[in-house]
Amino acid sequence: MAKFNINTDISSEELNKSPLRQLWRHFKENHVALVGLWFFIGLTILATLAPVIAPYGVNQQHTDALLLPPSWDDAGDVRFILGTDDLGRDVLSRLINGTTYTFGLAILTALITTLLGVVLGVFAGMSKGVRSSILNHLLDVTLSIPSLLLAIIIIAILGPGLLNTVWAIILALLPQYIHSVRNLVVQELSKDYIIAQWLDGANSWHILSRGIFPNIYEHIVVIFTMSLSTAILDISALGFLKLGAQPPTAEWGAILSENLAFIYLAPWTVALPGILLFFSVLATNLVGDGLRSALKKRKAI
Amino acid sequence: MALEYIFRRIILLCFMLLLLSIFTFSLSFLFPGDPLNNLSGVQNISFHESDALSEKYKLGHSILTQYFSFIERISHGDWGISFASQEPIFDHIVALFPATLELALYALLASIIFGIPAGITSAAYYKKWPDKIINTLTLLGYSTPVFWLALLMIMFFCLQLGLLPMSGRVSLLYEIPDVTGFILIDILLSDVSYKFNAFIDAIKHLLLPTIVLSTYPTMVLIRFTRDSMLEVLEKNYIKTARAKGLSRSQLIFRHALRNALLPVIKQIGLQFSTLITLAMITEVIFSWPGIGRWLIDSIYQRDFPAIQGGLLAVSTFIILATVTADLMHSLFDPISRNQTHGKI
Repeated sequence: MAKFNINTDISSEELNKSPLRQLWRHFKENHVALVGLWFFIGLTILATLAPVIAPYGVNQQHTDALLLPPSWDDAGDVRFILGTDDLGRDVLSRLINGTTYTFGLAILTALITTLLGVVLGVFAGMSKGVRSSILNHLLDVTLSIPSLLLAIIIIAILGPGLLNTVWAIILALLPQYIHSVRNLVVQELSKDYIIAQWLDGANSWHILSRGIFPNIYEHIVVIFTMSLSTAILDISALGFLKLGAQPPTAEWGAILSENLAFIYLAPWTVALPGILLFFSVLATNLVGDGLRSALKKRKAI
Repeated sequence: MALEYIFRRIILLCFMLLLLSIFTFSLSFLFPGDPLNNLSGVQNISFHESDALSEKYKLGHSILTQYFSFIERISHGDWGISFASQEPIFDHIVALFPATLELALYALLASIIFGIPAGITSAAYYKKWPDKIINTLTLLGYSTPVFWLALLMIMFFCLQLGLLPMSGRVSLLYEIPDVTGFILIDILLSDVSYKFNAFIDAIKHLLLPTIVLSTYPTMVLIRFTRDSMLEVLEKNYIKTARAKGLSRSQLIFRHALRNALLPVIKQIGLQFSTLITLAMITEVIFSWPGIGRWLIDSIYQRDFPAIQGGLLAVSTFIILATVTADLMHSLFDPISRNQTHGKI
């Protein structure tokens, strides 16, 4: 008796909620991803408030405390929780400030890439015929140049420096981004409801804003997390290669390479920035993965 | 059918190489400094040399003539000379590229050997503990910066345990004549008395860079194989086979594996781009005398002709590898040939 079928089971009740709510519910179930999200939020706060939180200035030198080990070590000093480097700078303050450079700049980079990538990707996806063919071939060529090599070439043209690194990484990430967005758009364009809209006489803008965007923006967030983790890795890698942030900028990769000479004497100055890098990329990947599986689960209902 | 497909791919290849050459050519004008210096690699050009060089590089002529003369020079192996060493760039590349290639190939091999079985296991035990363990490890591997991993390895294996050497290709004690550029093959080809010791030593030198370099591609392959396998396991013919009562191992090895591994072939070809990128960092850390380290050094020294040559060589190699993998994929998988007809 269909008409007495009162919705008592969870799955049909679940269907009545908004898609975003459903997504959050699925995401919440994944505790590891949730931890990643908290870590991510924490890093973002740290990146914005770094100078306020840090106990000492970035380049403030304590000549009485050179290469001090972390405070839990016997030789450590409680004033410098994570120890000091060879110039007597507090490692904790430098690492906190480094969040702004490595993590904050990576977010900025990924955001700009998203903006450009979505515009160009939609354009590539919506165009047809020769124009689309040429665009795709151009993309294929740029995709075949390794992203770091492309970034390095751009840095060779612009000269080393943190801001140039950001431009270089944006340009290096862009082809991949355009490619992914284009695929999303093309996939969505071939669906029946879009064809129905075309037949109803909707124009391109209408289809884009009402049909395609509401259906792909969550996937774009997933691509965003992917490019964010690449951006973090690339900024720090270029900093490590001394092509990005120049000392005394407290970028994590630059701190790492600066202290490489003391790897025997002061291993914590090398290990700590690496651990932070690792955790920030891990948090980003966890959020991205959690989001992706939540999207998949919602689709499966 | 297959011939037509190959023909189309070759046209695509030519188009890609054309675009790449245009990009490389334009770099001599984009780089800071005088295009004449950047093109020729001669740094202090005297007045009467300048005329001769301008004539050689057709600088007075239209941009099209310059481009064609560039192509002609490239195809003859005249890639200009390096600012830093004042030696022909082409010789540098020929000498250095095999070292990078060797490292990248072993890393690729390692990632195939570990990645694909791990991916299959993970898919076979979907959502059970082997899958969870492999998934966690993949996530950790994805998130490790390659230079940090390399430093940790050096700290542990070289500095703490003293088991493995931390830089170079082979100990300086062993003198190996350069024949192919691949150190292991060179050692086998040479007729020195310390062949065996040198071989062991070279393997020891290779071990750490290969592990570091193969980490990321392994993770990519695990994920890709797992996803591809899971997709195939959802297909109807697998369900039919299951309904007939086949065991899991029969299902996977007889029916699912072949179809699941087809896209993986293509993915392996795409790994070269990642491998070369990571090889650049790995080479710098392990002082591996390859093209990546040379390129990074060229940037420190603002050696523009060298950067240009390196880009051309590396990218050409990657394009060739990608297209070859694509062709292989389509030879094994006839369905993929139809899909690409008329659209990319």
